[in-house]
Amino acid sequence: MKQPYKPRSDRKFVGGYRPRIDAWEKASGKVEYVDDITLLSRFPGMLYAKVMRSPHAHARIEKIDVSRAQKLPGVVAVMTYKDPEFATLRATNAGWTDGVDTVTYDRMMWRQFRDRRVLGDYACWVTDEVGAVVAAESEEIAEEAIRLIDVEWEVLPFVLDPLEAMKPGAPLVHPEITQNNVLPKEKVGGDDVFLNKGNVDTGFAEAEVVIDGTSTHHNATQASLDNWCCLVNWTTEKLTLYSNSYEADQSRMHISQMLDLPLHKVNVISSYVGGQFGRGDTGEQPFFLFTAVLSKKTGRPVKFRHTRRESFHDSRQPAIYYGKVGARKDGTITSLYFKSIGNTGAYADHSIFALKFAPMEIAEASFAHIPNVKLESYGVYTNKLPACMMRGVGNSQFNLIFGHVIDLLAEKLDMDPLDLCIKNFGHEWETLPDKSLVEVLKQGSEKIGWSEKRHKPGQGQVYGKVKKRGVGFSIHPAWHAEWQETRRGHIPVSITLNPDGTVILDAPTVETGTGSNTCNVLGCAEALSFLGVTPERIHWNHLVNTETSMKDCVQTDSSVSYLQSEVLAVTAKEVRKEILKRAEPLLKSKQGELDIVDGRIFVRNNPDQGLSVKELLFQGDLVPIVVTTSRIPNSEKTGVPYFANFAEVEVDTDTGKVDVLHLVVINDCGTVMFASGAEAQQVGGQVTGLGETLTEEIIYDEATGVPLNFNWIDYKIPTMADMPEVDPILLEIWKGAGEYGACGIGEGTLTCTPRAIMNAIYNAIGVRINDIPIKPEKVLQALGKI
Amino acid sequence: MPKLSKGVKKDKSTRKPSNAQPSEIKININGRWHNFAPERDITPTMQLSYLLREKLGYTGLKVSCDEGACGACTVIMDGKAILSCMMLAVEANGHEITTIEGLEKDDPVVEAFAKQCEPGYGTALQCGICTPGFVMSTRALLDDNPLPTMAEVKEALSGHICRCGCYAAIAQAVTHASEKIAKKGESL
Repeated sequence: MKQPYKPRSDRKFVGGYRPRIDAWEKASGKVEYVDDITLLSRFPGMLYAKVMRSPHAHARIEKIDVSRAQKLPGVVAVMTYKDPEFATLRATNAGWTDGVDTVTYDRMMWRQFRDRRVLGDYACWVTDEVGAVVAAESEEIAEEAIRLIDVEWEVLPFVLDPLEAMKPGAPLVHPEITQNNVLPKEKVGGDDVFLNKGNVDTGFAEAEVVIDGTSTHHNATQASLDNWCCLVNWTTEKLTLYSNSYEADQSRMHISQMLDLPLHKVNVISSYVGGQFGRGDTGEQPFFLFTAVLSKKTGRPVKFRHTRRESFHDSRQPAIYYGKVGARKDGTITSLYFKSIGNTGAYADHSIFALKFAPMEIAEASFAHIPNVKLESYGVYTNKLPACMMRGVGNSQFNLIFGHVIDLLAEKLDMDPLDLCIKNFGHEWETLPDKSLVEVLKQGSEKIGWSEKRHKPGQGQVYGKVKKRGVGFSIHPAWHAEWQETRRGHIPVSITLNPDGTVILDAPTVETGTGSNTCNVLGCAEALSFLGVTPERIHWNHLVNTETSMKDCVQTDSSVSYLQSEVLAVTAKEVRKEILKRAEPLLKSKQGELDIVDGRIFVRNNPDQGLSVKELLFQGDLVPIVVTTSRIPNSEKTGVPYFANFAEVEVDTDTGKVDVLHLVVINDCGTVMFASGAEAQQVGGQVTGLGETLTEEIIYDEATGVPLNFNWIDYKIPTMADMPEVDPILLEIWKGAGEYGACGIGEGTLTCTPRAIMNAIYNAIGVRINDIPIKPEKVLQALGKI
Repeated sequence: MPKLSKGVKKDKSTRKPSNAQPSEIKININGRWHNFAPERDITPTMQLSYLLREKLGYTGLKVSCDEGACGACTVIMDGKAILSCMMLAVEANGHEITTIEGLEKDDPVVEAFAKQCEPGYGTALQCGICTPGFVMSTRALLDDNPLPTMAEVKEALSGHICRCGCYAAIAQAVTHASEKIAKKGESL
């Protein structure tokens, strides 16, 4: 039996080990996802849409002839970029919002990079959606119709590598935006050098030890099993969208703004989603829009679902990092410099978020005590898959170099890297050492057996003649504390207290699997504990319907786990007031003289005089008590906690195969909202973390730009047989503002996994490999065996 | 006989199999025999997963990769876990299929997956979309081998992808289900 975590304070429900509230429904297959909800039998007359995809990495349509497609029996509509419905639509991009806030077209986050047409004549990666869309009676017919469209292409030269793309004379991917493929300076991200504190050159000159290194992160993909799907029914009355997007209110805004419809004529309905992991920001769904246009054109409901192959549409942004660190002999870092080049791919998306926004947050949270810090970055267009938002956006790439230079510097100083971290990293409003960081490292190192197992690089015991073992770790500051979420604005929730004492909780969010629904039910029960309500007597509504629900709190930043619960703590107080108000005449006392404990209202000075809440509510008009409140996240700067991963690996020096033997995942949460759910995130995140370290990679044919492994046979996701033992450790050291002062951890569970494994590999074999995924051939190359 | 939506006219370019078609296709689904007319109800290229989901509404099974790589469409045929996306509907002629809708209400495997929450492993499901597939493979495994070793569990379930990564908790749930089934067997 593994040990439970130790809570900082006793709570009735919050922080418990228990099943998810949706566990029975999901385990028995009863939960319906969008593809289930939109069966043909439920939408008679429904059509299926398909879009043409570019066979070329870079091309423009010269001529298009859809007559053969139109004649195919079962085809109802074929539309092209020339049709006014598409030609008049404004250029858009995938960088409207990271999901934190709802934004209009004018206020989109990366408005300088409106590089994408909903349906255009220009394709900038192989499989880019371009040219024409079809609605037909079946998917097979729609696919066949797409094949029957005749296109004459102007095939353009293409570029796949960002370093090549930056050279003069390289093919230009979006000449209307940049003449050298580098994303131009914009307001949010700032200059190429986006942080320049002190003077790094002086800092390096004054340092006694200077090291530098590089790291390369690649295209791993989110790989949600719930392929992107939508159904649009655009009638004369209104447009209804069923989708598995993780944003409902923002999807409504997106459609309203792009199709010029008033908000009340757009109804977005979402339910459970089968995994999100960062995919699908606003604007990344032109398919909502062309499906809508097809629905209007045909007057019928139209469904568009991506195949699994087509769902390889988004990925982590590949980034090359260079890092340089200067320090005194005692390990005090004096100067820190990082430069990155991100492969943006065909569309800018949130590239600058990954390259600048996220590193800025890290610098604020971790480098406050280092006098000289310089951060520099370039996002570069190429003709590859547009890449950006994936669980751990920007942070995963940054950690790959961060954990690398720490390990390099510690080795050069002959110092334990744990001590080096503790000596240097923390945020500005706290003195070093950072309490959270110290405890995270202590717990992780003990669990992995750091002091016993770590040895000089490559000089440990040899197992079975050829196998070598090593340990490694990496740390990162968490983000997604409440003060980092103020952009969300008002977060509304509602509690309905029924006359029988049961509760309906309206805390709208599109539940993508994170477990925030359970966190919120526990938060609601905790806040209403004066009523003696158990989680079983609270119903959480899983359906988000923009006509009937309040604004949804979007599953981004892993922070829905506590944001709505913080509001619920306030809402519950209002519920209490309302109950007391109703009790006043019956108990012939003023509110201030009354109390409620375990669902019984009584006069404080005369506890025998009282009645149960149920008795109270059953006496009157039987109208439930409904309290709706909203609150903007607390902006008090409370810093952030730390998290870390430790790894033990075994490397076969004959075959180059790396086996991860043990992973330890440590997250300081502030407050654990739901322990089983948090540990599921910690253990579960390692599947993606380990996959992107060792096996997962999108591979292209360099000669044509054709992606070769858009399937799960050749794109290798770890299965049960591939996973090592994983130990999750939850801590409550740091605390933010508010009732719980919690912090999102989902993304932070896997950010450090690659670097922890890579440092462990170095400890095992004494040779560094700094580009992932680490496949056997890279290990053998590093060992000089091939 | 369940109501079937009218089949769309088959695309002429689709290759027809050379062997003769049966005059009637009989499939037992969740304990009841269904008769299907070839062409009208089941076309030669129709996958079993399509028949079950799109035509009959058994949406417990999910189609994700649609090419045998993820396990989400797993159902049980004649006691064995099979990938319904990799089998033609017509191949199920004469066979008995169980979908997750056909399990008992208090199925110990479903229960174990739902209740899994002990410290150190997390829950056995998060987004839940792969779960029915895992449940059906586990059900078939335990029917065949009520007390599997951990190696046997991993072997039986390694054809499934859970991107939320709940493998460790799933393995625990299988162990708990196995224990419960064994206990039940003793008390009988």
